Amino acid sequence: MDLMVCVGSSCHLQNSRDVIKRFKELIEEYHLEGSVELKGSFCMGHCADAGVCVKYADEIYSVRPETADEFFKTTVAKAD
Amino acid sequence: MDIMENITDIVQIKHEVLRRTAKHAFDGNLYEEYDKIPYEMIEGIKPQFRCCVYREREIVRQRVRMAMGKLPMDVLYTDADSAQVVHVIPCACEGCPITKITVTQNCQSCLAKKCVKACPFGAITSTPHGAVIDQSKCKKCGKCVAACPYNAIVEIERPCIKSCPVKAINMDENDIATIDPQKCVNCGACVVGCPFGAISDVSMMVSVIDALKKQDKEVVAMVAPAIEGQFGAATLPQIKQAIRKLGFDDVYEVALGADMVAYNEAAELSERRAAGEPMTSSCCPAFVNLVHKHFPALEKYVSTTVSPMVAVERYIRSIRPGVVTVFIGPCIAKKNEVMGNYVDEIDYAITFEELYAMLCAQGIEVEETEEAPEDATRYGKGFAVSGGVTGAVAQVLSERGEDANVKAQKCNGADECRKALMLLKAGKLPVDFVEGMFCVGGCMGGPATLMEIQKSKKVFDTRLGGAESVVENVESKGLDKANVHRHA
Repeated sequence: MDLMVCVGSSCHLQNSRDVIKRFKELIEEYHLEGSVELKGSFCMGHCADAGVCVKYADEIYSVRPETADEFFKTTVAKAD
Repeated sequence: MDIMENITDIVQIKHEVLRRTAKHAFDGNLYEEYDKIPYEMIEGIKPQFRCCVYREREIVRQRVRMAMGKLPMDVLYTDADSAQVVHVIPCACEGCPITKITVTQNCQSCLAKKCVKACPFGAITSTPHGAVIDQSKCKKCGKCVAACPYNAIVEIERPCIKSCPVKAINMDENDIATIDPQKCVNCGACVVGCPFGAISDVSMMVSVIDALKKQDKEVVAMVAPAIEGQFGAATLPQIKQAIRKLGFDDVYEVALGADMVAYNEAAELSERRAAGEPMTSSCCPAFVNLVHKHFPALEKYVSTTVSPMVAVERYIRSIRPGVVTVFIGPCIAKKNEVMGNYVDEIDYAITFEELYAMLCAQGIEVEETEEAPEDATRYGKGFAVSGGVTGAVAQVLSERGEDANVKAQKCNGADECRKALMLLKAGKLPVDFVEGMFCVGGCMGGPATLMEIQKSKKVFDTRLGGAESVVENVESKGLDKANVHRHA
């Protein structure tokens, strides 16, 4: 399953790089290298939301670096 | 600089949008000023290119979005592959109303009427004013085109559809071009091919400028070897200095990564030759996408060595962990390679067009900067032109005293790539090595270059200096220690 993080300019300002970095670490922590693929994405049209735009299993989420762990635990790790 | 001199209005508009966006980003007022760019660029109420200034401004507005890393407003977000770089700007698409087979003014209304006789569907009638095709009967077989002794009947296709080597472009119910991301290899041929500039590539430039301004981490540039010749007479050391002036802490040559790739690919080729199986190159992202999306059965033949961009990035990270890495090249597909496969390794990929826009925004003249040393061999630099990968791999084999007589198929451009892969699939390509370069001429013919390849190649050829031994260059710099295999 693809875990897509927006790297457009708005999300970049919301520290999308830090979200990507944390997701990479979390994928390793949860041993999900085989099932979750981390990908970049251009704008998905949710710039007005409060965090970085993340798409997983066709759903769009808004994630901040400090909520990345919680999001990963409840959404990504749970679904797999 | 004499670049952009013979450039079409389309490229000039794209450049102007990128330059103004870059300027505002450097000045730190982009988010207040970006919606003024259409009005800065298109003044008054007299249209220059389109039906009205309002449409012209709307097109500029969508271009500004793409320069800022967003998709055009009217593209359906949910349908797009997230790493898809090339997008139609629907408001800029003229929906070219082209009927495929057309009688031109060359028609002499001759007596022979070969066209009428050649048509198997009775679609052509002869009139005193020339032949007339009944489009409801025409099946676009092309027999009349071949039959006419005056070449008066022509077959024309929409330029976007014609330019696409993988048939990824279709039309929607309003004749507006659409791209099928399942088929698209992001080569950028249609970006160059559309005469209305209605297809363009999304940019990461603003994020790069943001990283340069923040200065909390070192930012390093990795420039593709095809940069040689892009700025006319300016030398590579001068270009590297100009890039530093933008705020980059250092500039590395991707040709150094090409040396690393040649070093490893030569060993991989020896193994595969011993096993009696062919290998293809893996440096061109559009070629790799072509195999992945259109010839999945051949994926096992693609070299498992990473591209020179990834190789040099891993080397940089091994000596300077924590830096922000930015690839700069002539290539649109490289952005897709970064987004789809290496988003957790490489930070950004931008094009020469975007680099030039940044230099213009900051008023940096390339020729005026002073000299600096070079890092790669002439063979690594050769990756920028068709035949260069094969040459570099053969060079490494010969330096190691192995059989350097590589039976290679050099594919120069998309059509040759496709043809070679079709033969390979059918088991009818008796070679050891397939070098796939999706753009004609190699990367120097890429869609985001600044200079026509005929001109830049002349400069490139005179500059092909640098170290002579790939093995020595790689081992003396400790480059052989970095991991250059896919999935580190």
